[in-house]
Amino acid sequence: MTLTIFAIIILFLAVMEAAIPYLVKRTVVFGVSIPEEYTKASELREYKKRYALIVFSVSMVVFISFLLWGMLASPAEEQLVLVCTAIPIAMILLSLACYVYFHAKTTQLKRQNRWGENLKQVRVTDLSVRSQDEMLPWYMYLLPMVVTLGVIGYTVLQYPTLPEQIPTHWGPNGQPDAFTAKSPISVISAPLILLVMQVMFLGINETTKRSGIKLSATRTEASRIRQLTLRKYTSWFMFLISLLLTMLFSFLQLSTIHEGLFGEGTMLIAPFIFLLVIFGGAIVYAVKVGRAGEKIGTESVEGIGDVDEDQYWKGGLFYFNKNDPSIFVEKRFGVGWTLNLANPKGYFIVLGPLAFILLFTYFV
Amino acid sequence: MIIQIEPQSDIPIYMQLTNQILEGIARGALRQGESLPSVRAFAADLGVNMHTVNKSYHELEKRGIIRIVPKSGAVIQSQEAIEKNNPHYQRIQQEMKTVIAEALVLGFKSEQIEELVASVTKELKGKPRLK
Repeated sequence: MTLTIFAIIILFLAVMEAAIPYLVKRTVVFGVSIPEEYTKASELREYKKRYALIVFSVSMVVFISFLLWGMLASPAEEQLVLVCTAIPIAMILLSLACYVYFHAKTTQLKRQNRWGENLKQVRVTDLSVRSQDEMLPWYMYLLPMVVTLGVIGYTVLQYPTLPEQIPTHWGPNGQPDAFTAKSPISVISAPLILLVMQVMFLGINETTKRSGIKLSATRTEASRIRQLTLRKYTSWFMFLISLLLTMLFSFLQLSTIHEGLFGEGTMLIAPFIFLLVIFGGAIVYAVKVGRAGEKIGTESVEGIGDVDEDQYWKGGLFYFNKNDPSIFVEKRFGVGWTLNLANPKGYFIVLGPLAFILLFTYFV
Repeated sequence: MIIQIEPQSDIPIYMQLTNQILEGIARGALRQGESLPSVRAFAADLGVNMHTVNKSYHELEKRGIIRIVPKSGAVIQSQEAIEKNNPHYQRIQQEMKTVIAEALVLGFKSEQIEELVASVTKELKGKPRLK
């Protein structure tokens, strides 16, 4: 079971990492902005192909040797978990190394060919684009919170019947393997953490909504579709994660309150389904966003180009722009969002809840 | 309506914004009573500082063309409201004087200037450009 779960995770990661160059905006190649007319340059295509090939083939070798090792050597559970944590980290580092290499190559290519140097740089927006935004309204995110409050209330009511040992961790077999002493706080600590995460999702949704809808001057229509799709599906995907987490946490809480309520099979399969649905959702999200607006052909706008924002992107990965009031901006390498690191509010929204959860789990 | 600014131009960004909004209203791409985005949203969409958008909105409010609604944005005033408090004539006269003076210095004939005024008016008031 553990082997299957980790095999799926590794395979998922390998495919996603390898596909990134084909899922990002066409006008940003390895974190370097490329004027529309040069995006089809043969060198750039070659770079993308080489990146995808290297990442995918190395990952496959790792994946297959992992499978063989897992099945033939039948390693101990602990050993397996250790290796399975190390492999994804190694894969991410590998793709990062490839990224850094091709980022440098692309930067060099752009400079050598003086791409975009003769263009008049402009910024555009459409005054009506805000009315087309389809992100979920904030109150949708209250629904899972209501469920959590219900679970907390029910736990309080059932307090006398709760066991003396409250589970805090579940092993790969779906059964609890770590416990803490029963206390009014420890029994509701899991739903409380869930509540903090739900507040964080709400906060991210709202700040994303307030962040800019960035249009491109040379491909206004395509960029509009991409931005609106990214916003819509981000808010749906985040809502899905919030719902799934609520279901999983409520499920575990109920299994603690009523011991033996769910059979061993259910305990084993529930987290597995949780994982599969999240991966499925992530794939749909990446593909929907990655393909959005790509069918729209080139609009013929001569002599102008988008403002070259490379100066605000450190290494093509970290966005730092004091003038932009946006807290979240679309990632340059990968599908999704990244923080505007020049805006302190962003740190608060992302790190605040994490710090709370960490402090809470350590000191309570 | 599409707003396009040029950060490296000699004309300050807030003025480019003001001019384009004015032109949009004149053309009919922006209608009276229609609201403009909030300062934060507009600045975020364009990736410029909020003060820049704020300055442009205040400039337009000072001229009586929009009404700033705290927190939600700005609304384009109705024709009656714009005409009612009308100290505009003198200001426009003054501004045109500057331009006409420059045109005369540059050797434009008075017919040429009249023709220019007529053709610009026709261009703006003629067929409204699609959004």
